[in-house]
Amino acid sequence: MTVPFLIFLSSGLFLGWTLGANDAANVFGTAVGSRMVQFRTAAVLCGLFVLVGAVVSGGGASHGLGQLGAVNALGGSFTVALAAAITVYGMTVAGLPVSTTQAVVGAIVGWNLFSATATDLAALTKIAGTWVASPILGALFALILYHAIRLAVRVFKPHVLQLDQMLRAGFIVAGAAGAYSLGANNIANVVGVFVPSSPLQTVSFGPLILSPEQRLFLMGGVAIAIGAMFSRPVMMTVGRSLMPLNPVGGLVVVMAQALVLFIFSSRALQGLLIQIGLPPLPLVPVSSSQAVVGAVVGVSLAHGFRGLRQVQWSVLRNIAVGWVLTPTIAALISYVALYIVQNVFEQEVFRVVGA
Amino acid sequence: MTELKSSSPLRKTRVLLVQVEGFLDVVSQAALAYEAGMVEYLRNGWTDSVEEKSAQIREYENRGDRLRSEIGTRLYTEMLLPDTVGDVLSLLGALDHLLDILKTNIVMLRIEQPLFPKDYHPALFEMLRATCETVEQTVLASRSYFRDPVTARDQQHKIHFYEDEAERAGLRVQEAIFSSDLPLEEKRQLREHVLRIDRLADLADDAGDALAIFAVKRTL
Repeated sequence: MTVPFLIFLSSGLFLGWTLGANDAANVFGTAVGSRMVQFRTAAVLCGLFVLVGAVVSGGGASHGLGQLGAVNALGGSFTVALAAAITVYGMTVAGLPVSTTQAVVGAIVGWNLFSATATDLAALTKIAGTWVASPILGALFALILYHAIRLAVRVFKPHVLQLDQMLRAGFIVAGAAGAYSLGANNIANVVGVFVPSSPLQTVSFGPLILSPEQRLFLMGGVAIAIGAMFSRPVMMTVGRSLMPLNPVGGLVVVMAQALVLFIFSSRALQGLLIQIGLPPLPLVPVSSSQAVVGAVVGVSLAHGFRGLRQVQWSVLRNIAVGWVLTPTIAALISYVALYIVQNVFEQEVFRVVGA
Repeated sequence: MTELKSSSPLRKTRVLLVQVEGFLDVVSQAALAYEAGMVEYLRNGWTDSVEEKSAQIREYENRGDRLRSEIGTRLYTEMLLPDTVGDVLSLLGALDHLLDILKTNIVMLRIEQPLFPKDYHPALFEMLRATCETVEQTVLASRSYFRDPVTARDQQHKIHFYEDEAERAGLRVQEAIFSSDLPLEEKRQLREHVLRIDRLADLADDAGDALAIFAVKRTL
């Protein structure tokens, strides 16, 4: 591994750090915000499972993102990741809704335009479709899970204290599963654009063999895990804003979000769907925050008309606006940044295929 | 091995459940002892039997204090949902207050030993029955809250009903006292004891109201 490679990779690692600092809250925010799980425990668990998820199952979503555009020069990968990071940072500062996933996709499209590479519209449509599908699926999973848990509680009537004990264990298990899914799905956002241009080789540590792709995922996973250590303020905010749901609702939201990220990352599930003759789900990175918002709406819907009135429709409208705004801004920044990196810093940002 | 067993979260929760049930039993038994003691006092004055009931109530109050303190410590150390801890401790606090009032009432009765004319006894018996039933229903609703919050909410109307009955009977006794020829200081002393009984029903009703809110928060 060379120093220039690490310098180029720094933008992706920075993106990973911001993703960890923000999205770890979607996984453990409710548990930490409600003081059921200590922040230190949550951060360590989150970091560990993000890492495992990224290395073990990160390939699926990363491959899906690669179909949109294979950024084939390190300078290009660096610039695309940087453009996505600038978009996320800028839109966060401006108070606009933003998703790392959508920023990365926009930045890749910007690279496609700059390098005159044709954007695979089928892949783009598939990815954009998952943006709409993920909050809807989040709501659906949450609705089903909430009804199932409510039924179980009504039938078995656990003591309030036993139920809380189970909820606490549930928060830890669901949080760990959510962190695994986050790593598996969102690692593509962090280092996915470096996969085609990476100079890394396969390494082995005894029986453990890491492919070049997995080495990248490991580094990205570490960046997300370190970011998770800095997620306390966001966790407290997310936790407190979700708690009015009630503890079961909070748990359901975490479970639903974990499921959404899992189904868009799991090659095994995709294979199973094909095997039983069902249309396979695309393996692409999706926004965990939007899955959470969908799940919150699902829990509200479980309370019928009363719950429906509590839904903040402006949040959903902002998400829809973000679907268009984020990739557009990221594509523009990416295009301009690629121009600067190529012409001012004289770095290769793309290789002409076949030349 | 023993250490491992006692530190298991499931075992800790089971111990906590037993303590909570034990606390509710104590409140219920104290109310029953109070009613029995008061009825005996009204019929036969401060006899050995009433003394025995008074000692029982003091013992129940001490046991309730110990249990509440242990439950509070366990609830916090087990890191259950803070919201649940707060609600459970508020509920136990309200019920513990009932134990305090039961003890105070019987102690004041022992000190002052007021003489209630026999004419007031039927209304007083009725008031005592309704008051202790209010406490009983509050304890029942509390048990339901821990297992089935929906049922706890549904039991509210019974608590209100018995509290209302106790208040009506109490008013009848007070009206009778103040329309009698008893000296004013005696009237005021008797009224004071009637109000003490009425306060018990009021506090049980307040605990029931708080319980209804806690139950709504737990309803899925």
